Amino acid sequence: MSTIRHRLTPLEKADRRLGFAMLAPAFLLLSAVVLYPIIDLIRTSFTFLHLAQPWMGNPFVGFENYARALGDGRFHEAVWHTVLYIVVTVPGAVVLGLGLALLANKPFTIKWPVRLGLLLPWALPLVFSGMIFRWFFEYNQGIANAIVRGLGFQPLNWLSDPNLAFFTICLAIIWKSSSFVALVLLAGLQTIPRSYYEAAEVDGASDWQQFREITLPMLRPAIFVALIFRTITAIQTFDIPYAMTNGGPGNSTETLAMYIHKTTVDFLDIGYGSALAVLMFIVSAVITTGYLKYTRRDPGRH
Amino acid sequence: MAAIGIDTVVKAYGATPVIHGISLSVRDGEFAVLVGPSGCGKSTLLRMIAGLESITGGAIHIGERVVNDLPPRDRDIAMVFQDYALYPHKSVAENIGFGLKMRGADAVTIEKKVKEAAQILQIGHLLDRKPGQLSGGQRQRVAMGRAIVREPKVFLFDEPLSNLDAHLRGEMRAEIKKLHQRFGTTILYVTHDQVEAMTLADRIAILRGGHLEQFDTPDTIYRQPVSTFVAGFVGSPAMNFIPATIAADGTALDLPGGVRLAAPEALRPRLTGLARKPVTLGLRPEHIGLDAGGSAPLTARVTLVEPLGAETLALVRIGTVEVTGRFPPDSGLKPGADIALSVQLQRAHIFDPETGRAL
Repeated sequence: MSTIRHRLTPLEKADRRLGFAMLAPAFLLLSAVVLYPIIDLIRTSFTFLHLAQPWMGNPFVGFENYARALGDGRFHEAVWHTVLYIVVTVPGAVVLGLGLALLANKPFTIKWPVRLGLLLPWALPLVFSGMIFRWFFEYNQGIANAIVRGLGFQPLNWLSDPNLAFFTICLAIIWKSSSFVALVLLAGLQTIPRSYYEAAEVDGASDWQQFREITLPMLRPAIFVALIFRTITAIQTFDIPYAMTNGGPGNSTETLAMYIHKTTVDFLDIGYGSALAVLMFIVSAVITTGYLKYTRRDPGRH
Repeated sequence: MAAIGIDTVVKAYGATPVIHGISLSVRDGEFAVLVGPSGCGKSTLLRMIAGLESITGGAIHIGERVVNDLPPRDRDIAMVFQDYALYPHKSVAENIGFGLKMRGADAVTIEKKVKEAAQILQIGHLLDRKPGQLSGGQRQRVAMGRAIVREPKVFLFDEPLSNLDAHLRGEMRAEIKKLHQRFGTTILYVTHDQVEAMTLADRIAILRGGHLEQFDTPDTIYRQPVSTFVAGFVGSPAMNFIPATIAADGTALDLPGGVRLAAPEALRPRLTGLARKPVTLGLRPEHIGLDAGGSAPLTARVTLVEPLGAETLALVRIGTVEVTGRFPPDSGLKPGADIALSVQLQRAHIFDPETGRAL
């Protein structure tokens, strides 16, 4: 920006006024549903507010809630579980989603079954997906144990063994989120000109070489977008483990979002829950900015 | 190097045929151009030779081999695409060397050959750049570099110059011709631009609606077009077509508006048997000029003058038809003026008005 400010012409001023007027409704709405709750959340996190102890009032307690989080073992475990979910399900969904996108990009004569298969998991509410998978892995009637029995093995405690429960939840999350990744990557695939593949074909590249030399590098920006979105939603993982195990057995599959939910809704400890939510918000914000910085550092370069 | 044989090749999409049994053979080392309006099947035919489109019927040979069922990579061809198909994430050197790398050449060989090709195309200083940092003409050179580095038997060009401006097009046209003279490799080149076809080709194949109209040298195509389509397609400004009737004794042509042109001796043999028949008279603009005190001048009225510097084009009215003529730049033509015209009827083309075929 130059130091000498450009004087606006009357027309530009009118334009600018119109612009602000058009933005105002969206701004007010977002303020009401996003900005205000965030500010109030931060304020609450510095207070004591426990709905089961109304006589204590709502006193300001400074960083006491945050100090409590530092020493809270269950909080640490929830963070650790969340990190594990991210580390397993984000790459898992991207790999599966890439496979689905490549499949959907093939010139099928009948396209709708592929499209439907791709869209269905995405269109399904998260809790439903969780419930469906809970039934799959149910001990007595679930299809998973039916198969295990059919193969002549002892049925497995899919949902009540801590490691298996983590595994089945990851499976459900990957299945559910891969379709979103596939949609993003399919859009990316369709921007790659056909002539790139034709030229490679003439030049003697095998299918695998074409994938490695053209598809993957050209898809990098789309994979990146998918990774960002997937990571941000994975930080907030809630519905599927909630529906499948409700964090159990014990709290072995409990995520940060679930612990915040329990603290506020079940234990009614609004002050402490707010502090935990602020911590989660900070983590999300840091990761997102990190990603965005990385993409901005790398504009147009493939 | 290899010849290309196209033997009654048919292409159909479902029940819709787009190429109706085309046969032509390109000699080893020849520069052949497929030309025609959009939708004539020229690109489809080229892509069938490349192996990018399946062949519905007939056979395509490259050298001794029938390649109908060979994948593109086994046909020993290189192709330059209309959009160049350069990989934006690879450097110029990587783009040029791509085919060699895919075929498992070692790094030293690749580097050497890429450098050679880059030098021939004068893009040696661009090897580290990405295609996005190049101009249209430079990209075109990179695309050609990728083709020549593989030393294939046949080069296929699919409208390679259509994304360039007029000036660059002329420059790259010369560059492609030089390459052909240098390597002598068989080239099959698709374009919709008749000037490109005329200037580049050893032989031109003119396609129309999936049929081959004529396959011959540029000179023959210009002088002896087999149809009004070919005659009208080649040459700028286009040939004039005038409806005419042959006089009863076969010694003159009657044009609309009561104008009678005496047929010169040279033309008469071609008019025998056509007496009283309607024909389409084809006259190139350069065969219509100012009368220099000749035998039977024709009076015409100038309706439009287009000075081009080296020559002047003018629309003149003979009887009730308007024709374009080529005149010297200093002929001082004025719209509305009457001039004495001479027509070199011995150079005229006579076509059947129904079928458009040359008679």
